[in-house]
Amino acid sequence: MPSAGGAATPPGDIVVRLEHVVLSFGGGPVLDDVSLQVRRGETKVLLGESGAGKSVLMKLVLGLLRPDRGRVWVFDQEVSAMKEQALYDLRRKIGMTFQESALFDSLSVRDNVAYRLEEDGVLTPEAMDERVRTCLSFVNLDAVMDKMPAELSGGMRHRVSIARALATSPEIMLYDSPTGGLDPETATTIMDLIIKLRDCNHVTALLATHRLQDGYLLATHAWDDATQTARWAAEGARHTSFLLLRQGRAIFDGSAAELRRDADPYVREFLS
Amino acid sequence: MADRTLGAPPPDSALSQALKQWLFSFQEFWLLTAQAFRNIAATPFYAADTFLQMDSIGVGSLPIVVLTGFFTGAVMALQLSATLTEYGQIDRLGQLVSLSLVLELGPVLSALMIGARNASGMASELGSMVVTEQIDAMRALGTDPVKKLVTPRLIATIVMTFFLTLIADMCGIVGGWVYAVMGIHMNGALYWFSAFRILDASSMIQGLIKPLIFGGIIATVGCYYGMKARGGTQGVGRATTQAVVLASLLIIISDFLLSRLLVGILGT
Repeated sequence: MPSAGGAATPPGDIVVRLEHVVLSFGGGPVLDDVSLQVRRGETKVLLGESGAGKSVLMKLVLGLLRPDRGRVWVFDQEVSAMKEQALYDLRRKIGMTFQESALFDSLSVRDNVAYRLEEDGVLTPEAMDERVRTCLSFVNLDAVMDKMPAELSGGMRHRVSIARALATSPEIMLYDSPTGGLDPETATTIMDLIIKLRDCNHVTALLATHRLQDGYLLATHAWDDATQTARWAAEGARHTSFLLLRQGRAIFDGSAAELRRDADPYVREFLS
Repeated sequence: MADRTLGAPPPDSALSQALKQWLFSFQEFWLLTAQAFRNIAATPFYAADTFLQMDSIGVGSLPIVVLTGFFTGAVMALQLSATLTEYGQIDRLGQLVSLSLVLELGPVLSALMIGARNASGMASELGSMVVTEQIDAMRALGTDPVKKLVTPRLIATIVMTFFLTLIADMCGIVGGWVYAVMGIHMNGALYWFSAFRILDASSMIQGLIKPLIFGGIIATVGCYYGMKARGGTQGVGRATTQAVVLASLLIIISDFLLSRLLVGILGT
């Protein structure tokens, strides 16, 4: 299993912080005065309909986009003010899976997972292969190492993309709609992996989804090492919180229990 | 009268918006070009990617450059031979063919051929990577896409356009010789003597500087349109067309400007 990330930051510390972020693309704002905090080991579920600004928020955290106003902090570094070259070092501590997996289609699964390791050039080819095998084994895909991304199903591509993000043991994981377009069984497999990463590796995470059931699964389940499955457990809620976005504005930020109790008409409609 | 908040900027006209967009694109293009050239001296240097591109651009473009060069030389010999015979100057056929090829037709036609094949290839390849978020994934994995994707293509295109132009020049002169000997039964030795005697240092330098510039144009235009592609497969198609059109135009325009500059520096 890939080694645990997050050792550099003490427990309970805020590792991701957005302060009054505003971002527009030509028309109206895509994000409008959004603030949030994510503590070490916590999984923040970004809920909202398509176009609510979830993916954009993830890209802001990674510095792939810059806000028009407001500030973005990751590990006490102001991402929104850093130069692109300085961001490359920071991004090595963050893993991201994209909505459509974004695997490099001209590289094999092995080369996709080993991409960052090869760029670093620290490991020997044997050690690199071992690391790739470990990461693929974590996502239950040991047998596809030599295949090309085009030969894989959508669910397998998502799992390879998680393995690729895990290769350098990131301290933060960003999952952009990891279950989008997948059948329920494959979606559950992906969610189990995310729960496993949260509970075994204590990885801090942001997960963007429009599927409420994915968020509740995270909040109500914990990884059981004995059975190697995610099982219902109240402690899952301690590590999971929710941020609900509506047309670029954060209209709810809190726990699963608070979300269920919230009286806002849009929240009620979203939950129903 | 329209109600307008005091101090608010007036709305942009369509012309003003188009001008701003053009200036913004112009700035983006030069920033990308500057960054790609700056990366040549920066680490890490992606040698394997550069050689891969050299193979793809150089070996891949070889057949079209050889054919273009050969038939250009042959058709020049065909068209010029009648006029030169009329004026009793047929022994100058080799010199006219070789000088035209080395100074203008070799560099320009090779660049147009290489541009049509490779500017479109670069725009579509990088454009596809942009619209499928592979470029974002690369950045997310801590790699500078300009260093990894644009700089190797820039180096490879400049180097290979230079050598491909030399090959096109040679094939063109051979094409002219083939027509001179087989079409008008001219003495082959006379053709070669005339063809090489006219090529002095000034014309050689002019003919060899141009492909370096044209190679830079092909790579930067192709990569720029690829990197700014938006809007799915339709956007990639649009980027590919725009890359070929602009690269071809810039090659023709810069050929005139370069010729004027080099003639001024080196003399005719």
